[in-house]
Amino acid sequence: MKPHAEIEEIWPRDGRIRLVGRIHGLPRDDAAGDWRLVLTRRAHADRRLRYDARLKGDRFESELPIDDLAAPDYAAVEEWDIHLTDGRAQLRAGRHLDDIRGKKKILVYPEQRTGNLGVRPYYTVKDNLSLECRPGGAA
Amino acid sequence: MTGRRPLPRVRYLLLHAYGRGGTIRTVMNQANSLVAAGWEVEIVSALRRRDDIQFPLDPRVKVSTVVDMREGAHIPASGLMGRWRDRRRGRHLEEPPRYIPAGEFGYRYFNRYVENRLIAYMSALTDGVLVTTRPALNFLAAEHATGGVVRVAQEHMNHGTHKRDVQKRIREIYPRFDAVAVLTERDRDEYEELLPGTRVVRIPNAVHSLDQVPADPRSRIAVAAGRLFPQKGFDMLIPAWAKLVESFPDWQLRIYGSGEKKAELRALIEEHHLYNHVFLMGHTDRLDDELAKASFYVLSSRFEGLPMVMIEAMSHALPVVSFDCPTGPSDVLTHGVDGLLVPPEDPDALADAMGRMMADEKLREEMGVAAVLTAASYGPDAVHPRWEALFTELHGQRHPTGAAKGQGA
Repeated sequence: MKPHAEIEEIWPRDGRIRLVGRIHGLPRDDAAGDWRLVLTRRAHADRRLRYDARLKGDRFESELPIDDLAAPDYAAVEEWDIHLTDGRAQLRAGRHLDDIRGKKKILVYPEQRTGNLGVRPYYTVKDNLSLECRPGGAA
Repeated sequence: MTGRRPLPRVRYLLLHAYGRGGTIRTVMNQANSLVAAGWEVEIVSALRRRDDIQFPLDPRVKVSTVVDMREGAHIPASGLMGRWRDRRRGRHLEEPPRYIPAGEFGYRYFNRYVENRLIAYMSALTDGVLVTTRPALNFLAAEHATGGVVRVAQEHMNHGTHKRDVQKRIREIYPRFDAVAVLTERDRDEYEELLPGTRVVRIPNAVHSLDQVPADPRSRIAVAAGRLFPQKGFDMLIPAWAKLVESFPDWQLRIYGSGEKKAELRALIEEHHLYNHVFLMGHTDRLDDELAKASFYVLSSRFEGLPMVMIEAMSHALPVVSFDCPTGPSDVLTHGVDGLLVPPEDPDALADAMGRMMADEKLREEMGVAAVLTAASYGPDAVHPRWEALFTELHGQRHPTGAAKGQGA
């Protein structure tokens, strides 16, 4: 298994999305250092949002306010992909270490709204974690 | 002895043999055992909406359909007579059935066309044994399968869970059967009282196998399974789990099954912020493997007939936490030995019992061992010979010959 940021819990509530998990597959010393959560807009890879991640051993926690995701130029559906980085390693967030097949349809998380925008964390068909943004009506 | 006589042909009539329900599954288990023991067995599907049978079925079991509802199955007729028949068919498809009370849970699958075709099928049967598997089919068989076939009505539900009109019809018409077969002791008592003079036998359904991978009591997964439907009570199970999540944050509840209440249950999960702990797993073709990953099974139903998935879970050495609903859980479980029984429809009591199970690995292990022993009496080898004995005896009584004559009359 490639090094990645293994997601254990996702808490979409109170206008924020909090992520809890573990750095998986890096030597322990490499997991120290200064880690950040990075969101990359899939359709505009130059659009990025960065947040502090708290690390304790290999365990990380980070959160973002969904207001930050507002943008004037969204298509009907757009995605943001989530990584963890310390400046050197770029680790994709996802859930790969358990036995559940087909997470996209099983591990389903609620949508939150900010203004006219619906935001929902979801697992991709490859079990990676992304955010889905839908301007206008409910997702 | 009647052993040397040829065995009678046994026909099981199911509403939809191509579906996935518990009745279908247990009838196929019975058919597999009988055919393996040398019987000639046919499964007759009143309706057909799918191409394939959903459970393992021995290829020696014949399968036939009375009304094929698949797209393209009906070829429009030509000629004046044919067109007239098609028009009548179309009209009868829209008309309600005449012999089935509206309170039958399967009422919506019936119409006058389906009913007429079933009556024609049943009236033509002159030999062997016909086993009908739900009230609507039982009512039709009682009135129309009168050509000499031995008739056995299976009741997969507790009498009290039927609607009034169905209960009334059962009292009126079930006495015409050669035998009425029920699943639990409580049902036998009730039906014997309702149907004086009618032969009522209790034969539980069998699990498909007792040779199962045992679960690991250290696992932190609880499992439930069933259609996502009010009967299964998952709307009580989810709030019960909400009371435990703080004390047991590393436990998961996995609910297997699909159904029309999925969106409501999802909303309940979101309302209680359980999206990291309670998972709607959907349908699985490998329930055995999934059961073996858990360390206890939960049954939150409002009612049951005999909950077979619960017994299958027990064959994996899973202890059970269950509502003491009618019927089945108290027939199978001994409280404090192989599981915990709590008052029906009481989510607080369910939460307490699950908490007790989650807090105590030793308890899970001991009760799991006891659960395997309990499940053994629901194995195919324990159950299916009882069907063989019943069919042989009833058929011998109907067609006494030679030595059997004296005892058969």
